[in-house]
Amino acid sequence: MRWLKLSSFLLLGPLVWLSLSTTAFAFEGWLPITPEDLTMKSYAKAPGAAAIVLYRQIDRVDTGNSPHEFHYERIKILTEEGRKYADVEVPFNEFEVALNLSGLRGRTIHPDGKEVEFDGKVFDKTIEKTRDYKIRARTFTLPDVHAGDIIEYQYNLDLNERYFFDSKWILSSELLTRDAKFSLKPSGDYALRWSWPAGLPEGTAPPKSNDLLHVIAMETHNIPALPIEEFMPPLNTLQMRVEFSYSQGALESDPVKFWKNFGKKENSAFEGFISHHGDLQAEASSVVSPSDSQEAKARKLYARVQQIKNLSFERQKTAAEEKRDKEKENKNANDVLKQGSGYARQINWLYIGLARAAGLEATSVLVSGRSQFFIDQRLMNSRQLNDDVVKLKLDGKDVYVDPSDKFAPFGVIGWSATSAPGLALDRDGGTWIRTDNPISSENRIIRTANLKLADEGSLEGTLTVTYVGLSALTVRTEQRDEDDTAHKEFLEDSVKEIVPVGIEVELTNKPDWKTSSPQFVAEYKLKVPGWAASAGRRALVGMGLFSGREKHMFEHADRVNNIYFHYPYRYEDDVTITLPEHWAVTSTPPPSDQDGKAIAYVLKAEAGKGTIHISRTLRMDVIAVDLKNYGILRQFFQIVRTGDEQQAILQPGT
Amino acid sequence: MSNKLSCNPAPKSASSVAFLLLGVCLATMPAFAGQAQAPDWLHALASLPVPTHSEKDDVVLMYSEEHVTVDSVDKMHTTERYAYRILRPDGRVFGLASVNFNKDRKVVRLHGWCIPAQGADFEVKDKDAIEVAPGVSGGELINDVHYKVIHIPAADPGNLIGWESEVEEKPLALQDLWFVQHTHPVRESHYKLTLPANWEYKTTWVNGPEVKPTASGNEYEWTVRDLASVPEEYEMPPWRSVATHMIVSFLPTGEHSAKAFSDWHQMGLWYADLVQDRIQPSPEMQAKVAALTANSLSQLAKMQAIGRYVQTDVRYVAIELGIGGWQPHAASEVFRNHYGDCKDKATLTRAMLHEIGIDSYHVPIFTARGAVTPKVQAHLGVFNHAILAVRLPVGMDDPSLQAVVNDPKLGRILFFDPTNTYVPFGQIPEYLQANYGLFAGPDGGQLIELPRAPASTNGIRRSAILSLDAQGTLKGSFEEVRVGYRAAEQRQLLDTATKQADRTKPVEQVLAHSLTAYELVSLSSINVEDISVPFGYRYGVVAPSYAKYAGDLLLVRPRVIGTRTSGLLEDREPRKQPVVFDGPEQDIDSFDITIPAGFKVDDLPSATDADYPFASYHSKTTVEGNVLKYKRTFEVKELKVEMNQMNDLKKLYRTIANDERSTAVLKRDPAANASVK
Repeated sequence: MRWLKLSSFLLLGPLVWLSLSTTAFAFEGWLPITPEDLTMKSYAKAPGAAAIVLYRQIDRVDTGNSPHEFHYERIKILTEEGRKYADVEVPFNEFEVALNLSGLRGRTIHPDGKEVEFDGKVFDKTIEKTRDYKIRARTFTLPDVHAGDIIEYQYNLDLNERYFFDSKWILSSELLTRDAKFSLKPSGDYALRWSWPAGLPEGTAPPKSNDLLHVIAMETHNIPALPIEEFMPPLNTLQMRVEFSYSQGALESDPVKFWKNFGKKENSAFEGFISHHGDLQAEASSVVSPSDSQEAKARKLYARVQQIKNLSFERQKTAAEEKRDKEKENKNANDVLKQGSGYARQINWLYIGLARAAGLEATSVLVSGRSQFFIDQRLMNSRQLNDDVVKLKLDGKDVYVDPSDKFAPFGVIGWSATSAPGLALDRDGGTWIRTDNPISSENRIIRTANLKLADEGSLEGTLTVTYVGLSALTVRTEQRDEDDTAHKEFLEDSVKEIVPVGIEVELTNKPDWKTSSPQFVAEYKLKVPGWAASAGRRALVGMGLFSGREKHMFEHADRVNNIYFHYPYRYEDDVTITLPEHWAVTSTPPPSDQDGKAIAYVLKAEAGKGTIHISRTLRMDVIAVDLKNYGILRQFFQIVRTGDEQQAILQPGT
Repeated sequence: MSNKLSCNPAPKSASSVAFLLLGVCLATMPAFAGQAQAPDWLHALASLPVPTHSEKDDVVLMYSEEHVTVDSVDKMHTTERYAYRILRPDGRVFGLASVNFNKDRKVVRLHGWCIPAQGADFEVKDKDAIEVAPGVSGGELINDVHYKVIHIPAADPGNLIGWESEVEEKPLALQDLWFVQHTHPVRESHYKLTLPANWEYKTTWVNGPEVKPTASGNEYEWTVRDLASVPEEYEMPPWRSVATHMIVSFLPTGEHSAKAFSDWHQMGLWYADLVQDRIQPSPEMQAKVAALTANSLSQLAKMQAIGRYVQTDVRYVAIELGIGGWQPHAASEVFRNHYGDCKDKATLTRAMLHEIGIDSYHVPIFTARGAVTPKVQAHLGVFNHAILAVRLPVGMDDPSLQAVVNDPKLGRILFFDPTNTYVPFGQIPEYLQANYGLFAGPDGGQLIELPRAPASTNGIRRSAILSLDAQGTLKGSFEEVRVGYRAAEQRQLLDTATKQADRTKPVEQVLAHSLTAYELVSLSSINVEDISVPFGYRYGVVAPSYAKYAGDLLLVRPRVIGTRTSGLLEDREPRKQPVVFDGPEQDIDSFDITIPAGFKVDDLPSATDADYPFASYHSKTTVEGNVLKYKRTFEVKELKVEMNQMNDLKKLYRTIANDERSTAVLKRDPAANASVK
């Protein structure tokens, strides 16, 4: 559950929370340490942790010409590994963010209370320097640190006067933080809004403003450590933080009005961009025929616009190259058409202009891409609308397209924009929509193999892998900057990844990397040495020839984060194995059919005349799985692995 | 030339440095490059055909020229020219030209150009360069090596890029290393040397035939042409042990300089001199030695106590400024701070051992076997780590002292690595075994081969007592004993766990690799803290559906867990480099599975016996009563598999794979079922 707090500190009523005094912005010494902390051996909320942050304090002052921050960190070292936290690096940058670091003090406290003051050197390290700026770090290491010790340090950072526009408190870190206090003394010259997009630790009262002291403050406890795991949601959605944003003029406090205003502004820019109808009309007329159906018109224009070079896809160029390219800034859709190039949003807006010119109903949708954000409209953060697609109304039905993506077939949009909230622009400020939720049958990887089993147990033959829908779009997009050699290596490695034993594989066709064809087909010669296992007089053939990817999924019982897949998908395997002459199949495993609503695994093996035919389907029709269901998901993949490990029994000929 | 000795291997090639810097530079590089004519030497290359190369080569080095001018023992300057034809998108990284510098090494000039296949030339000048400190890793807190970098525009496939640099330095040592071969092909490459009058030079060619220079007065020039790339492969020897390079020492005549050395003896003297004044004890350190050894009953116990103290109480932190890359901090300073890098830890250990009457000496070494051999000319750049050689007292002959050599000149020497917290006093990590280090004694240096431990001292022994029920569920307990470096690795893994659940992951990983479904019902670790004895796990496992029915037959894989095979050589492309094993090793698995009542064994996999000069593998499945017994042994016999043995290694891995998948067939026993009824 995410919470929202919106306020202008000037508008808030009197508050009584006074526990943080203004004197908290500077320390003359150290905070007292309790005997319990000195002798602490472990912390129940962080079992096995190498260290925990006992106390963290960040006090920020944005008043005056120079914002500054006071940092105080106290860490309990619990294991040998935790000793690494005695090495501290404080990055700062001369001309951009932090101008100076001062007042650095540190000490080590042993469990018996004996203190070792830090009197060593602080190294000023230049990380990067150009003729315009220098990024530096102050780095130091605290002395005589062992497991069981407490280390603590404090310092002040003087910040660039412009830096307060990006003020934030980062709560999550790689260690659990037991107690923390944060404060901000904001600039009085601007209105201020603050929010905590990834939530706050359990039981934490939201930041409160004390109008008397002009301080916003928050106290919190047990901020969980943030571990990195496979198949986890975007980091942005997990990292607890409080974000502040200043703005000139009064702040809108009503999310509905905020988005209406934002939508009107964006719609105005969008309509302005496509307002020069003349050229668009002529172009549309040259592409479509009045007798075309709505869909035919939309598709023809789509194909035309996909020819426009998408500068968002280009590699990063040096300024010298950009200067030489002399690509004019596109001021409107006509410019995009004339130059034959534009950025993604400009290309999509050109498409809308052409579609409208052809009589179609189309508008721009600003989308919050799932690869980075799960937008909460109440936060009123327009930066989270970081992607865009086109909404077409074709024969009364909404269709979402992205012609700026040269690999996206008509009707298919990149996975990050699928099932995502978006603001469909109109003159009234827009309407919130959700893009289509893809389903697994549209995003398949089909693996068809015809293989011969040799006497010594190896398989040899052909394999065709067909990527469909988002699977095709994703593979083309990820490899778009590579050359033929890299493409070949990538595809061959992809097969090595799915076959659970060492193989020899060679790509034999030239797949279509350049177009937006809904299917992407790769053909191979495949040799799998020793696939048939020995069992004395018999030989055994495993069912899971393409089970390599599932073999190690969710192998650990412990999990901290929710589980998140990019998009629903389906693997369909069809394997025919021709046996050596005179060999016979004496037994095939029973079929497995684990067909749940969201996920399914179906395996079937049939013996034919001198052949075994194996069909296997693995379907995933879910994107997000709550942590509480991790056990079920893990168990499902154990069932998949058990099924894949089943074997058919063969009787070699005499 | 490496300017430090701190356990962080130096980049293998220029491209490695470029990759290191890529992330930093692309984001922030100011690009004021403008249009200008590239120099004639670069234009002369533009029309030349690209030499034969592999489709996987990212670039071809069309031309390089390194000109080293030695002015005196304290001053030399180097100019370099490089020209690359970019062949593939990944070759764009060569557009980031970099030169390292520190307070004794100044970059005077750095200039780059691109000649595109179409259009006018691009130019990048000194003022467009940025300075970058590469990210430090591990325990390295700070060092003063920085890079000056230029980003050459349009380094795209088909285009030719080039750059020139000039560097002035006060050399740490009078020597240089010319990398002739790279991970990409070379069309033409030159190394020029200008020496002061009456100076001499000495060269050694490593991994390639010697090339004779042309000489003109005190100028010498070596030229090579048309060299193939040395691609990197998994489990290959250190790149430096396979790529051709030339080591050159500059030798003043009639003038003594400690910086001028061309053999290990002289280099050892130079290093011993750097270290000598760093091992003075402080009163606090002496008191600590007394306290540490007060209860030790023998001299060996005292040595062990000191060794363990430095391994565990002194954290690894590297602070390397100037010659600090090679010269350790004073032992008293390391003792006071309780931190230091490998050479600091060696220094403190040495000082403390001296207090109990034990002499020891620094040993610079490279952390991968094969990079340094007696054929290699003495050179600073070949080392990246420091350990200690401890002179053992006469009569000290404890079995725990394994890493010992009997040197005719030095006597009995024990090697000890105070940096590796997990390898006990008496042993050395597997990557140091059969490796060469420089014994830097007061009478000079000597390259010594470190001892290799028997295979039986390093490995994993797994045993299990298990039972199978008629539903195919396997239950039972495993015991895993890890000795030598296999124990050290596991202790390190547990130490770096950041939460309790992570401590079960190493076992879960082993189980998950072999069992499709399992429940870890119990787990305990044995001897986690005491590194002088083997480490172990005991765990209980329930694995549903382990045995699977096929008709009325029940299929059971006798090899329950553990994988020794490898898909390394299953590739269409022929292997180009030898394969190296981590170290000597012997692994033994022994699993007993009681078969369910009412079943009998109908078929067993045949025994496997594979014996090659470099490794062996033996396995056997037998039945004793109602127990299926599986035993296998894998042993590494030689640490390197040469190219002419590659087919045998492939065969060995396939043999192991077949054995690991082999299955026993059980069927219902009518007699037993009748008696049950």
